[in-house]
Amino acid sequence: MKPSKKALAIALPVLLALGACGTGDGGGGETSGTGGGGTGGGEASNELTVWTWDPAFNIYAMQEAEKVYQKDHPDFKLNIVETPWDDLQTKLTTLAQSQSYDELPDIFLMQNNAYQKNVANYPELFTDITGSGINFADFPESVTAYSTVDGKNYGVPFDAGTAIGAYRTDLLEEAGLKIDDFTDIDYAKFIELGKQIKDKTGKPLLSGQAGSSDTIMMMLQSAGASLFDDAGKPTITNNDALLKSIDTYKQMVDAGIFLEVNSWDEYVATIVNGDVAGTINGVWIAGTIQTAKDQSGKWNITNLPKLDGVANATNYSANGGSSWGVSSNANVELAQDFLKSTFAGSKELYDTILPASGAVANWIPAGSSDVYKQPQEFFGGQPVFEKVVEFGTKVPKNNTGAYYYEGRDAVSAAITQIIQGADPAGALEEAQKNVEFAMN
Amino acid sequence: MTKSIARLPGYIFLTIFAIFSLFPLYFMAVSATNTSKDVLASRLIPGGNLINNFKALTAAQDLGSALWYSALYAVGITVLALIICSIAGYGFEIFHSKGKDFLMSILLLAMMIPFAAIMIPLFQMFAKFSMVNSAWAVILPAISTPFLIMLFRQSSRNFPHEIIEAARIDGLGELSIFTRIYMPTMKATYAAAAVITFMTAWNNFLWPKVILIKNEYQTMPMLVSNLSAGYVTDFGVLMLAVLIASLPAMIVFLALQRSFAEGMTGAIK
Amino acid sequence: MPRTKQSNSDLDTDSTKSSIGKARSRRSSLSKGNFTGLGVAQKRSLTGWAFLIPAALLIAIMNFYPMFQAFFLSMKTGKGANLNYAEPLWYNYKRLLDDEIFMMTMRNTFIYLIVQVPIMLFLALILANLLNNKHLRFKAFWRTAIFLPCAVSLVSYSLVFRTLFSTEGFVNDMLRGIGIIDDPINWLGQGSTARIVIIIGLLWRWTGYNMIFYLAALQNIEYSSLEAAKIDGASSTQTFFYVTLPQLKPMILLTAILSTNGTLQLFDESWNLTRGGPAYESMSMSHYLYEVSFQKNPNFGYAAAISYVILILVAILALTQMKVGDKRD
Repeated sequence: MKPSKKALAIALPVLLALGACGTGDGGGGETSGTGGGGTGGGEASNELTVWTWDPAFNIYAMQEAEKVYQKDHPDFKLNIVETPWDDLQTKLTTLAQSQSYDELPDIFLMQNNAYQKNVANYPELFTDITGSGINFADFPESVTAYSTVDGKNYGVPFDAGTAIGAYRTDLLEEAGLKIDDFTDIDYAKFIELGKQIKDKTGKPLLSGQAGSSDTIMMMLQSAGASLFDDAGKPTITNNDALLKSIDTYKQMVDAGIFLEVNSWDEYVATIVNGDVAGTINGVWIAGTIQTAKDQSGKWNITNLPKLDGVANATNYSANGGSSWGVSSNANVELAQDFLKSTFAGSKELYDTILPASGAVANWIPAGSSDVYKQPQEFFGGQPVFEKVVEFGTKVPKNNTGAYYYEGRDAVSAAITQIIQGADPAGALEEAQKNVEFAMN
Repeated sequence: MTKSIARLPGYIFLTIFAIFSLFPLYFMAVSATNTSKDVLASRLIPGGNLINNFKALTAAQDLGSALWYSALYAVGITVLALIICSIAGYGFEIFHSKGKDFLMSILLLAMMIPFAAIMIPLFQMFAKFSMVNSAWAVILPAISTPFLIMLFRQSSRNFPHEIIEAARIDGLGELSIFTRIYMPTMKATYAAAAVITFMTAWNNFLWPKVILIKNEYQTMPMLVSNLSAGYVTDFGVLMLAVLIASLPAMIVFLALQRSFAEGMTGAIK
Repeated sequence: MPRTKQSNSDLDTDSTKSSIGKARSRRSSLSKGNFTGLGVAQKRSLTGWAFLIPAALLIAIMNFYPMFQAFFLSMKTGKGANLNYAEPLWYNYKRLLDDEIFMMTMRNTFIYLIVQVPIMLFLALILANLLNNKHLRFKAFWRTAIFLPCAVSLVSYSLVFRTLFSTEGFVNDMLRGIGIIDDPINWLGQGSTARIVIIIGLLWRWTGYNMIFYLAALQNIEYSSLEAAKIDGASSTQTFFYVTLPQLKPMILLTAILSTNGTLQLFDESWNLTRGGPAYESMSMSHYLYEVSFQKNPNFGYAAAISYVILILVAILALTQMKVGDKRD
């Protein structure tokens, strides 16, 4: 008797609350269902819905962009929905696969590496913005290439994945070295310097996740190479740049100058706890480095070492980065004009978001602003961001390919085996086979 | 004296297992009071950063709203699931027949398929009825689970038929027998089922993430996921969020555990 | 589902017992005007069905309908959302056989199943039995401590475990401290040790969970039967094996089926703890399914085929377990 009464006492209010909530939300759902077609999220004609992640970074940038655009369009409003990238990808796939395009936002942020894959599989998700009046030549070709498919532009580049080599000057000094010793060098020299530092300080030069191919992929792109040819076929075997990259990587691990750790958190820990003398990654790693406040003034950045004996090798590369896409359910005119006036046209915007969030622009005109020339105290007074924009223009373009993730993971698996002593040619052949399997 | 010595191995075993269970929790709680850097350095003593972490957390995320929606969904699911599944479990066992056995084994199939595989048709269904973004879309798929039905069915095996017969003789209706006799007697099972269902519902992530498109309806697991999405993760704040996200399930357990584990008092008196 | 003769005779006794009060119950039902003209047995059967309908209907709509869709999907292939029936229809299933990564994930999953589930259920049984002892002290503490892990969200649990098992982490320090190993083990960097970490993680998180079921079931066991065993001079071990265990059988069966099901669909631990690595060596089948659907180029036909393979494997194992464990005695 008692429990059933009690259960009822709990159940009733909850059900009432749910009922109220259900109708309220259902109403919202209906609006977006019927009001769709023109406007993502079913809002008013002066409002845009945006899916993006990271409050400290791209959400913040969007909020500032809203303010910039509001100066000329006082009624304009942004509705930002915080969605981590993995979940955003899952949502996009679910919407596309169930053909519920009405639920799409107007604008979404997408990882550069995922662009080719998503456009190839779900062209219905995107609006072609080639004719939007956005001047894509204001972005480095290597960056617009991510979001360009068959000559059509599907994205406005946001943050740069331009790679930097960041090093602890205090540790370099202990080994009698300076940042200039790491500038414009090749990996043979780099390994030599790394050994020197290891001898003197006992610390490895770099660290990275075991079983991650980030480092290899950066090496590849620095020579304009990739895992796929222009026709999109995997070229994991008979790929000189790849073989050289893997060989270089193995040399560094074997020499103890590249510390392999288990996970991303461990990688971050090696940096902020001062267990390594440097790191090579996309410029966005600067944000993580700067969380180690006790290391302020002890860091410098420079370009990357280049692969030796590989055609078209350079000292520049990229890792990560993301671009804004306009969905097929968008208020296209407004979305395009908004992006054109902000991320592809406002120095003011980039000048605001850089110091506050460290979001380095891909938009080349932004690099000439005074804000980018400011010396950065944390990085020993270097004008870090001006340098990075300059690096960005020199990054060779490469072909990510729609099967980028398949290729990357297959190569990761191969690297794991090679580091454990397997024959590189055999392991890569296996990787090639797995990618080909995924593609058919 | 000899008795307590005889029980010594039991105590040792329990101690080892309790340490094994609690150590990671201790680490989580301690980390919530430390800076990101200390967390990454595996600092095992409490620090003074709890308030800063809390400020950073509430500045970045709407904690109150996430807790409210998580609670709403979890309580809604638990209450409805307990009512619907216990009635079904009771029906299967007490009114046992071959046809019902067959139905049970068919129903069991429903839990054997990975959720990721049915997610898209399910989404399509809710989209068709304009129920995306609604609380019911979160709750409905989680109410009726073969697992809960089976839990109640298996527990009913030890439920004495004589009591039901006696009640029938007294002229009680079938539904009254269920609510007045079965429900109070099976308190332990209800408590266990409530704990488990609440916990699963509270931690449910994939489906709410997909079906709830607006920010306002965000739940705790989504909030935690947001915190580790950026280029820079503050591990102290993350651990605090995770600690807060874990507390309600623990509280529900503490509140209900008396019912199912106060030793052998004899469930059926 | 298998039924023994025993269950039929159960039914028989039911009806004979009920026939005693037949007259009265018939009268009461007549007086209420319900089910006029139906026999008691029929009426009961209808009531029984009525009790099942809400639950069964919900499952049909929320699970079976999408499952049918998934089944048709498993015979389709194509790019993105443009899927057509494959030629032959079982193309995706055939493809699985040639998929080395899928085969590896299947092997991994079975390793988890065979190693982890028996250890976990055995531990849970022992713990529940210890906790059910009247004379045990600090009962609430032990119970809480052992259960709490499963209330923790996966993000923290994986973060904590990765930290503990990092090369310079607590576990290596401890093992070196007591002299078991000389050099740190790269736990997550090798296939075999990565799988061990997942198994330890599973044990940590789910042992208390299963213990709850046993504790709840022990509550329903009549104390007198244990007292009787004690009076007969049985040791506690004997009581456990000959009195407690048989009465717990329905619950053991339930947990075994649940754990088998859970392990074959294992996703969270593989995804959060090891990311399936290194080189797919700790990846579970469900994790691979998720990858094929949402991480890589989406191939939902193929993913649906994987899900049906998992379904069939679970169904076979669950049926076998029922056959072995579901004798009513």
